[in-house]
Amino acid sequence: MPAVQETVEQVKSLDLDKYKYGFETDIESVKAPKGLNEDVIRFISEKKGEPDWMLQWRLDAYRRWLTMEEPKWAMLNYPEIDFQDIYYYAAPKSMEAPKSLDEVDPELLATYEKLGIPLKEQEILAGVKKPDMVGAGAADGEPALDENGNPIASDMKVAVDAVFDSVSVATTFKEELAKAGVIFCPISEAVHTHPELVKKYLGSVVPVSDNFYATLNSAVFSDGSFVYVPEGVRCPMELSTYFRINEKNTGQFERTLIIADKGSYVSYLEGCTAPMRDENQLHAAVVELIALDDAEIKYSTVQNWYPGDKDGKGGIYNFVTKRGDCRGKNSKISWTQVETGSAITWKYPSCILRGDNSRGEFYSIAISNGHQQVDSGTKMIHLGKNTTSRIISKGISAGKSSNTYRGLVSAHRKATGARNFTQCDSLLIGDQCSAHTVPYIEAKNPKATFEHEATTSKISEDQLFYCMQRGLDEEAAVALIVNGFVRDVLQKLPMEFMAETQKLIGISLEGSVG
Amino acid sequence: MTVAVTKTEAERALKSQFEAKFDALPGNEWVRGLRREAFAEFDREGLPTRRNEPFKYTDLRALIREVAEFSETGNMPVSETDLYDVLGVDLDELDAYRIVIIDGRFNRELSHFDRAAGLEVMPLQEVLDAPPDWFRAEFGKVNPPPGSNPVLALNTAFMTDGAVIRVAEKAVIDKPVHLISVTGSTQKIAIAHRNFVTVGAGAKITLLETYAYRRMPFAQRNAATEMIVGDGAEVHHLKYQNEGVDALHLSTWMTRIGARAKYNAFQFALGGGLARSQIYARFAGEGAQADISGAMMQFGRQHCDLTMLVDHAVPHCTSRELFKAVLDDEARGIFQGKILVRPHAQKTDAKEMARALLLSPRAEFDAKPELEIYADDVACGHGATSGEIDENMLFYLRSRGIPEDLAKTMLITAFIDEAIDLIEDEAIREAFKKISCGWLGCR
Repeated sequence: MPAVQETVEQVKSLDLDKYKYGFETDIESVKAPKGLNEDVIRFISEKKGEPDWMLQWRLDAYRRWLTMEEPKWAMLNYPEIDFQDIYYYAAPKSMEAPKSLDEVDPELLATYEKLGIPLKEQEILAGVKKPDMVGAGAADGEPALDENGNPIASDMKVAVDAVFDSVSVATTFKEELAKAGVIFCPISEAVHTHPELVKKYLGSVVPVSDNFYATLNSAVFSDGSFVYVPEGVRCPMELSTYFRINEKNTGQFERTLIIADKGSYVSYLEGCTAPMRDENQLHAAVVELIALDDAEIKYSTVQNWYPGDKDGKGGIYNFVTKRGDCRGKNSKISWTQVETGSAITWKYPSCILRGDNSRGEFYSIAISNGHQQVDSGTKMIHLGKNTTSRIISKGISAGKSSNTYRGLVSAHRKATGARNFTQCDSLLIGDQCSAHTVPYIEAKNPKATFEHEATTSKISEDQLFYCMQRGLDEEAAVALIVNGFVRDVLQKLPMEFMAETQKLIGISLEGSVG
Repeated sequence: MTVAVTKTEAERALKSQFEAKFDALPGNEWVRGLRREAFAEFDREGLPTRRNEPFKYTDLRALIREVAEFSETGNMPVSETDLYDVLGVDLDELDAYRIVIIDGRFNRELSHFDRAAGLEVMPLQEVLDAPPDWFRAEFGKVNPPPGSNPVLALNTAFMTDGAVIRVAEKAVIDKPVHLISVTGSTQKIAIAHRNFVTVGAGAKITLLETYAYRRMPFAQRNAATEMIVGDGAEVHHLKYQNEGVDALHLSTWMTRIGARAKYNAFQFALGGGLARSQIYARFAGEGAQADISGAMMQFGRQHCDLTMLVDHAVPHCTSRELFKAVLDDEARGIFQGKILVRPHAQKTDAKEMARALLLSPRAEFDAKPELEIYADDVACGHGATSGEIDENMLFYLRSRGIPEDLAKTMLITAFIDEAIDLIEDEAIREAFKKISCGWLGCR
């Protein structure tokens, strides 16, 4: 079907190629020499002024990495990555030693401003700008709308850790959080200020030699967020990290470590964007979550890396290892992700349900268009008694993209009373895309009850006809049906996220009908 | 992977046996070429490990420690009475044409199919020695598995005999054809045999393949069946596997389904210490319909793997798959089923379901129901469940005065019958039901 006039205009009003975060910030940076060897790792470690144990940890990871092979099992096609053709460290020169936000290069602040991430606390406090963070950020301060089209009046505060290439440029609300006892800082800082926590938990969920990309990350990780919520504390505000790749030929290797001590609660948001470039860039992050007894961690991601242009040129290669460990009894970890960006996505946020009665959740919307390739899903490993998990995954593929759900649900011998419900649905828009479902179900306990359902279909003619017969044009009808399709997941997103995501879905699918 | 692996004892034994027995194996120069090619393919990768994705849950390299001697002929004769013992009363009484394979050899004395109009049956050995053109054009090419498949490669390399069955166009075979493969040797032997079936356009046949043992429960079998279902044909293809508890059972079905054809397949697995059954079905013409189902009932330390690929290569085809597993003791059941919808295979309608009932705390069920879809106008779905007997159902029955054991048996029977009920041939369906009751009774 040819695009209707309204759509054409809507597309025009959007940025070129529909990716509105594709600008580049011209800023001088300090880089490690290109390529990877022990000297580069020493360089990174030295830049961060790390203690020796951290350097040894990295070198150990690097040596293991040398013996490993790239995983090839995912349904992804991409040219061989030359790991020696990447800069493993890049930092804005002005970031050599800033002490406070006032000292941060205004160019950098402007970048985040443009992305819709205010880093100045007073602005947020004054309510000048809605603190809408992360990824889906409304362009140019345009207010986000709720379901009725009214601007969302938000008085909610969000603390942001902004990571630019390899360094954290600013972390907001640190003091206010400190009052509650919450530690929220760049991980490079935590290595110095809280070495005992870092030593205890780093690599305890995703071991150094877990997989090729996690090992690479362990060797070269540069920055990321560290969160510790003490016993019994409900984190007073949403925490978030905003990742930005700016420099050319640079990989981003951030590491996030979140620890929720007994009875605590934290909600964490993550967003990411990158400039539009012709070459592919590598992003290999590791996220580790630890929930102790009765603790709850809610982790939401809006992943909007540059997906490449319409011919599939450029874009981010996103190889991420995310894993949560429900270490204590009655703990809960919930992953919510909206994946719209990246040329390649390889990511499986998982939960290890170790504590009795612990719960894992995974809600995902993965939208692929153009030449994007997504291989994503989750793992729910039931180890403890009466552990429960729920997986809702909605994949939408359009254009020439490929979208794979890959998931594992397993119950070990002792996981008596484990329960899982999995639903993964795929929607295909256009006849050149593909959708795959690869679930693994491993039940080693008869008292574990597993249910798995999956469907793949295109938008039903009947539904379309019904909507159009009531006066909606085809594009609007498709958007309505797609939003209905992903509704289960959307509802799990924090409020202001939801409206943004709905819009993002609209943009991602633009021009894919017919 | 470029890692150099040392060959296991089993792999070395296979190689030395292949070299030693090659000259004695049947077939003309073309067949010998196929064998060499197949063995070279096997030799490159060796027995599959769990790193080989289709063998993720059945690591043959670790599980097959030793390889028995491939038999040239069985050392003990098998008689009609023996067959009765093997089949049991229910299957023995089945009114059917019989083709009997003993220790991988076609047995004329026990077979009787001469009065079936439109049915032609030949020993594979004779066909391999002088392969006619129609055989050369299709043999090994009907629907080979994607990539290299070590199980099939070994079959091609070592196959001794089997049945070549041709059903004439529009012929309706009035009774089921019962293809009985029995091991009768008292020694531990390895056998490889192969069947080749072509069903002409518009023809109709019910083919039941039975795999069983007479004397010793530890044979190593590798069987394969290639089948061409002609346009508009109707085929009911069944398999009953009741090998010995220490036996190795490897089997491969490769089927190509013509336009507007109807293909109903069912596999019933009870026996074997280690069983791996592979089903590859491909739609080659529009408007066809396939119903591929199965049931497995396993106990002790049995390991039963059913791996299936349904390839929707053309538009407008429908497929249904339902698999049930009842697992007791330390048995392990595996179901891997993939539905592949190729680009342009629009209007595909495919549904797949796998359900397991675990009766013991040590039983294990692994499932991987996979969808791989490259066309948009399709309706595909799959589901998988695993759990124990529903306590509410049990309570319901017990509150009505039914003893616990009987109540459980009733529920298990109902569970497994849902799959068995898909069999259209009434006699075979009832025989399978009796066999499943028997299994429950002596469990």
